[in-house]
Amino acid sequence: MFDLFSDIFTYRDNALTRIDPRAKLVIALAALIAVLTAERVVLPLCVFGVCLGTVATLRIPAKLVTARLAAPLSIVAVLVVIQTFFTGTTPLFAFTVAGWHFTAKAEGLRQGALLGARVLGSVSVVFLLSVVTPAHRIFQAFRWFRISRNWLEIAILMYRYIFVLMDQVADLAAAQRLRLGYTARGRAMRSFTALAGSTIIHSLEQAKRTHDAMRLRGYRGTMPFGPLPALGRRDRLITALCLIGIVSARLLEWGVSK
Amino acid sequence: MDGIWTKKRYASRFAAVVAAIAGVLASLPAPAFAMHISEGLLPASWAVLWYVVAIPFVALGLRELQRRNEEFPYFKPLVGLVGAAVFLISCMPIPVPTAGTCSHPCGTGIAAILIGPGLTVVVASIALTLQALFLAHGGLTTLGANIVAMGVAGSYVGFGTWLIARRLGVPWIAAAFLAGLLSDWATYAMTSFELTAAFHAGSSFSAMFSLILIAFVPTQLPLGILEGILCAGALRFVRNRKPELLRMAAAGGAA
Repeated sequence: MFDLFSDIFTYRDNALTRIDPRAKLVIALAALIAVLTAERVVLPLCVFGVCLGTVATLRIPAKLVTARLAAPLSIVAVLVVIQTFFTGTTPLFAFTVAGWHFTAKAEGLRQGALLGARVLGSVSVVFLLSVVTPAHRIFQAFRWFRISRNWLEIAILMYRYIFVLMDQVADLAAAQRLRLGYTARGRAMRSFTALAGSTIIHSLEQAKRTHDAMRLRGYRGTMPFGPLPALGRRDRLITALCLIGIVSARLLEWGVSK
Repeated sequence: MDGIWTKKRYASRFAAVVAAIAGVLASLPAPAFAMHISEGLLPASWAVLWYVVAIPFVALGLRELQRRNEEFPYFKPLVGLVGAAVFLISCMPIPVPTAGTCSHPCGTGIAAILIGPGLTVVVASIALTLQALFLAHGGLTTLGANIVAMGVAGSYVGFGTWLIARRLGVPWIAAAFLAGLLSDWATYAMTSFELTAAFHAGSSFSAMFSLILIAFVPTQLPLGILEGILCAGALRFVRNRKPELLRMAAAGGAA
């Protein structure tokens, strides 16, 4: 869970981690819009290929890539199956399983493939963003998009303390398991509710301690955010080039679709 | 329809396939996978619409946060920590006996009881953003839809149930159970509604909505009950050991 959720790989030094997070967010949003509005599978699949290739170049562990993509891939499989067999009118092929007749249809397959490609393309964009940008820098970049300061404060606190509480919960769960707390269904449920209750108690107590510590450091109800530096020339250039690339690809795809 | 199947047979096969798929998805070994709509799944128009629906609720929650923070300066750290706890609770796998697999609670019911529904929407929006960014669960494009399902529907139904049950004189433990149960079911119902709205295309809206709901019954019915037990059990645990902490969390609010 820790490896899956943490942003440890974003602290490596490479060409992508050096780009300003605001530029990366703008590029990612543009790519998401292009994928979401695509009318054919080619553009989303190209985006998926580029993102996955970049992730491989950055040597992100295959285990992490598989874990992150497992759910979206299964959703893609589901979408293709549902759409192929339940929408459309032009039969492609048919088969019978245990007396049930299934007919695959061309329109459904096309629609399912498009939806699946969109999911893969957009998931890979966000995945790439998350392995080259630390969480706190993403939150920092959100300020540039005029996201509420209160929302950001809570987000920063939440992200910080998820890991603190995660350690405590792991210790508690291990202690419960050592005391055979999960050996029977009823006992497991009692252990589970006790674990959830303990997590809440820990969080409320930690909130008091955190507030006291923050007050000692001058906190008076609002976290101070420093001014955002202007976007550098190199970052502006990268953003412009990427946006031109994405818009051109989208227009090309639109022209082919027409 | 192409005339190969009758409407009834089509419906039963659709439900069977969705149920099988729900089972497969529920058995995936990935953490924190309550039912969220995946990145890129909703068409652009629907994604924008659900953002438009979600934003006022998040704004209301943020206004409430500002108001309560002026009254109680510890309030922001408290909401952040409760949010972190609820996020972790929603990552804890609980066994679903009927499906023979593990699934995950939403945690919005207990959060709504602890800090109120408005702030739960804020916490849910952050949790969903973190899940979209770092777990590939849910998504940035489907964030609005997921906030409406988990944050708005889950927390307001959960809190409403808690409030009504308490006013009717229902014991607090039963009220907490009902809040957890209904907040979970409301989340799934809303997600089904959102998926149906986006994908029913030529077929009947109500028929497809009912089918998706029915198809998810084998996992969601027991999961809702387990979430109710979790909500009541966790609340009882805190009340028995540190009741003063609940009063602190509920400053001007719920529990």
